[in-house]
Amino acid sequence: MSNLAIIPIIIPLLCGIIAIFFHKYVKAVRLFSQVMSIINLGVVLWIGWLVLQNGTITLATGGWEAPYGIIIVADPLAMLLVITSNIIGTACVFYAQSSLSKKQEQFYFYTFYFLLISGVSGAFLTGDLFNLFVFYEVLLMASYGLIVLGGERIQLRESLKYVLLNLFSSMLFVTTIAYLYSVVGTINMAQIADRVQQVDQTGILTTIGMLLFFVFATKGAIFPLYYWLPKSYIVPNPVVSALFGALLTKVGIYSIIRTFSLIFVHETNITHDLFLWLAGFTMVFGAIGALSTNNVKLIIAYNIIPAVGFMLMGIGLLSQDGLAGSVYYLLHDMIIKAVLFLLIGALVYVAGTSDLTKMKGIIHHYPFLGWLFFLAALVLAGIPPFSGFIGKILLIQGGVEQGQIMLVVVGLGSSLLILLSMMRIFMRCFWGEKEELNGGLKPIRSFTWPAAFLLIFSVLLGVGAEWVYPYVEIIANDLLDPSIYIDSVLKE
Amino acid sequence: MIYAVFAPLVMTLLIPFFNKWKDKIHTGWFLLPIPLFIFLYFVQFIGEGFSPVAESYQWIPSLNISIDFYLDGLSLLFVLLISGIGTLVLLYSIYYLHKSERLGHFYIYLFIFMSSMLGVVLSDNVYVLYTFWEFTSISSFLLIGFWHYRERSRYGALKSMLITVFGGLSLFAGIVTLTYITGTTSIQEMINQKDIIIDSPLFPLILIFIILGAFTKSAQFPFHIWLPDAMEAPTPVSAYLHSATMVKAGIFLIARFSPILAGEPMFFIIVSLFGIITLCWGSYMAVRQTDLKGILAFSTISQLGMIMAMLGFGTKAAIFAAVFHILNHATFKGSLFMIAGIVDHETGSRDIRKLGGLMTFMPISATLALFGVFSMAGFPLPFLNGFYSKEMFFEASLHLDGYGGQFIPFFQQAIPYLAVFGSIFTFVYSMYFFFGTFRGEAKMGELPKKPHEAPIGMLISPFILVLGVILIGLFPNLVNGTFIAHSAEAIYGSAVEKDIYFWHGLTYPPLIMSIIVVVLGTLLALTRQKWAGIYTIFPRNLSFNEVYNYIVDKTETASTKITNKYMTGSLRHYVLYILIAILVVSGVVFFLTNGFAIDTSGLSTLKLSDVPDILVGLTMAIAAIGTIFTNNRLSAIIILGVVGYGLAILFVIYRAPDLALTQLIVETVTVAIFLLCFYHLPDLKKIKEKPSITLTNSIISIGFGALMTIIAISAHSSKWFEPISNYFLETSKPLGGGYNVVNVILVDMRGLDTLFEITVLGIAALAIYGMIKLRRDKEAK
Repeated sequence: MSNLAIIPIIIPLLCGIIAIFFHKYVKAVRLFSQVMSIINLGVVLWIGWLVLQNGTITLATGGWEAPYGIIIVADPLAMLLVITSNIIGTACVFYAQSSLSKKQEQFYFYTFYFLLISGVSGAFLTGDLFNLFVFYEVLLMASYGLIVLGGERIQLRESLKYVLLNLFSSMLFVTTIAYLYSVVGTINMAQIADRVQQVDQTGILTTIGMLLFFVFATKGAIFPLYYWLPKSYIVPNPVVSALFGALLTKVGIYSIIRTFSLIFVHETNITHDLFLWLAGFTMVFGAIGALSTNNVKLIIAYNIIPAVGFMLMGIGLLSQDGLAGSVYYLLHDMIIKAVLFLLIGALVYVAGTSDLTKMKGIIHHYPFLGWLFFLAALVLAGIPPFSGFIGKILLIQGGVEQGQIMLVVVGLGSSLLILLSMMRIFMRCFWGEKEELNGGLKPIRSFTWPAAFLLIFSVLLGVGAEWVYPYVEIIANDLLDPSIYIDSVLKE
Repeated sequence: MIYAVFAPLVMTLLIPFFNKWKDKIHTGWFLLPIPLFIFLYFVQFIGEGFSPVAESYQWIPSLNISIDFYLDGLSLLFVLLISGIGTLVLLYSIYYLHKSERLGHFYIYLFIFMSSMLGVVLSDNVYVLYTFWEFTSISSFLLIGFWHYRERSRYGALKSMLITVFGGLSLFAGIVTLTYITGTTSIQEMINQKDIIIDSPLFPLILIFIILGAFTKSAQFPFHIWLPDAMEAPTPVSAYLHSATMVKAGIFLIARFSPILAGEPMFFIIVSLFGIITLCWGSYMAVRQTDLKGILAFSTISQLGMIMAMLGFGTKAAIFAAVFHILNHATFKGSLFMIAGIVDHETGSRDIRKLGGLMTFMPISATLALFGVFSMAGFPLPFLNGFYSKEMFFEASLHLDGYGGQFIPFFQQAIPYLAVFGSIFTFVYSMYFFFGTFRGEAKMGELPKKPHEAPIGMLISPFILVLGVILIGLFPNLVNGTFIAHSAEAIYGSAVEKDIYFWHGLTYPPLIMSIIVVVLGTLLALTRQKWAGIYTIFPRNLSFNEVYNYIVDKTETASTKITNKYMTGSLRHYVLYILIAILVVSGVVFFLTNGFAIDTSGLSTLKLSDVPDILVGLTMAIAAIGTIFTNNRLSAIIILGVVGYGLAILFVIYRAPDLALTQLIVETVTVAIFLLCFYHLPDLKKIKEKPSITLTNSIISIGFGALMTIIAISAHSSKWFEPISNYFLETSKPLGGGYNVVNVILVDMRGLDTLFEITVLGIAALAIYGMIKLRRDKEAK
């Protein structure tokens, strides 16, 4: 029991509020945000370290003990994700200064950013289902703010769909919580898990679980619920796309990992087998989508989807390797999606278009950008020894262990398509004859360095897997045994 | 050993610095010592008494991934090829590539390749092997695309990458499966568990996965199509990657796993069948080419097929011959590629139709080519190493292991004939290559440059390789016991001893086969013009390139078609799909798990005093339905208001005045805002749709509503536990200090929720303010 558990939620909340008061002074608010994001990163690293060393930290907010009050549960999984989110956030804050217009910075970008981080961290850390809904609202509302920032016509059109579909899933979320509460009489996740286990997930519970899955699947962009994603992720500024691509869908995936390893694990031949099917379709349709367009931003946005399929595959397998693979892939994918959106933002900035048929030979002018993109493409496609590979080994191994050979083949096949979609960008935009650029050379250092900073983590997660994987192994082990989580919350 | 493997990779970090002086000193000179030292380092292992050496470094122990190097005879053969040919190619490239080229890039890619290739052949850990394997594909991609302003280069680069990475992924699936079955990531330990692997039901799958990996990399039919297009790379690269080393990685892989796979009928059929087909197809197609490098590319394909076939035979003699031919092929094909590069460099053309009569201009190159070509053709002369291995190949094709079954014996009968057939065409294209280029009439007018002999520096490397051809030919036993035998032993599993003779007697069947090849080959070569028309009959325009192009095109066009079909951009469609998905899946799950439950015990009986409740409820229901059928926004919003106010009345009836108040305020404000906004909106138009669409839409909506209702009833009827709300009722006063439980919950018990709900509202306000303000400012401008 320690207040430390809630610190990763509170610091960004306060920062966001403070930033409102001097929002007009761009330089001040920028500096404040940069400093605070680094400080916050340092703090979560420290808390994360404590959690990894000494075990889960819980906090009963307001002194209302479990299962009655809201419990914040900083377990290793949640903390790893909070740390990753903050690493990405910090890079994005530094990228924002050149990517956004002064006006956009003034009009609360940094406030929305901090509240987004607060909401995302809250969603990772909370141990209460209704509270999870509240944090979803926080991060969604912050994302609404970010997506309309700038107020372009196309932005408003796409964000309307985004808002409405998310609103729908929020309604479904709260309805489902009500159903669940009616049956098990609690909203504390640990206690829900305990009670569902007592009745062996009979009767209506599995159906309620499926509804909950659909809520998270809408946020997490799983087949067949991802329609809203690609176009709405490309309309805002690249830095916002990066935050969305890295964080938002992943919260949905995290929630699925949590609920379907902790609570609804007693009818796996229905629920988890279905996940395997959906995982396969998600991979295939996502990869096909990525090949279907000439818009470089859209290619990246579509590439979010097959990755979600990979993570869902691990959840469906519900084995040590499968879950470890999902978690590792989650960490990897958060970072690499942010990198790609940041790099593509720079590409579109220098090329003045996002149509890949209208670009060529960019690498002659911007070699550093080109090679960063090439490296990022390899990371995304899961080429060893980078981060995507470690997750892939585990997932494929998990698939083979359970005889899911078809799914393994589909997964590897979609990796090839992903690589093809990335190489299309590399070959058509970066390769080719040298051409004079209209507008001349633009300085893009402030675009490339944040991306390079993140890419270092992608490389480290692969080459230095030994520093991270043992923790992921423990996490997967803990996820497989719900009683560990239940005990850490209910028996303090 | 680890230094040897990673030295080139580390060196790439220094290349940009060397490149700064490239105007004064060609970057290649700085780098030349690296492969040379690696070569010298490995040469010391050669010897009769060689035994395998292992080295191990930790990397990711928790995933069983560690850098284990294992140098046995097979690896030794390859590392010597990689570093030896690497040195020569580097030397050659110094003269081939002009200083104005992007030398830094070139050598970085080349050195990445060198490290990766060394890693492939030395790794004992399957995952590390795979890592290096993929990097050979990537560096090959970069090298083929070196002149990426050319369309053909980009096409070739992508093609090679897609095909080899496809194989790489397949190999990956294979090794994961192997790891799963054996519980180890070490190839040597897998070999020890051979029986477990072969008995596993997954064995056929493993076999196919690994073979696919090997076939794509080693350009076996029908995956050979990437190799001719890879010739867009600078010639040193073609000589190095695409003939001597990288394309042999597939051969290496099969050889490496031979102790596990060989002896299985399935392995025999697939590997030797495709090997033989590749041999025949490659040599047949080589005669059709007009580009010098194109001839050599198809020749490489065919030679690789021959080696692959021998590995498929799996007999002692065949494996020995395969190993011997790997070495021989590297020497003569390497030199021929370099000669082709010289011809290109000095005449400006590689088109054999424009070339001819170069003997007089380039006598040294021509002499070197002469040796290379006749060695490749397997001409029976004692100083041509190609003849020895070709003859062993014939011998091996005559003595195959017995397998049962219907097909295999028949196929085995055919093998020697196919071998001779392929070799005849090998002879033809060899002659075609040499005589077309160096003899005949000189067509000076058609060449962009006036031909002259290459600078001495360019000739050194091919000269050394040709020297190898001759020396191995004259003294085969120089390499036999010292390392060919060790190499064959590593593949076969037990000691392989064989003496290499030139002369076996006149009635020795392989010699007769060789003579048939020479005679028929000469005849065909002389009459080539007359029968060349056969290519218009077969294969005509049939080609696996078409298949590849079709597939790659389809990934673009078909995926656009599929995606545009459902990604319509219409919110209505998206909602429709989502509802269908939820309805179908949840509905099915609901039935499968017997979710339905109904419990009427909690319901109250109807009394007269309930009439107002019922009336309010009915009004609300009617109003809710009514909103769907209005065409007028104003009336719709007012009718919707009825629902809200009805709810407020219900709150009043059930004695929750605070909720009723809140509901009233919310409802009033919403209706007011709606009315304000709608003043600015266009009229609602009745959307005309086909009755069938309207019908499906209503079925889905009603179905979804029904499902939610049924789930609600079932959830309500399954109250199996005491709700935590009782605790709140009990503790509201003593712990929370308030009689109004709802208030205590909001501000204390679940204060965190409230805090963040307030935050949500705050963000919404800021977001709207920011949006309007920014737009206004923009419009003002």
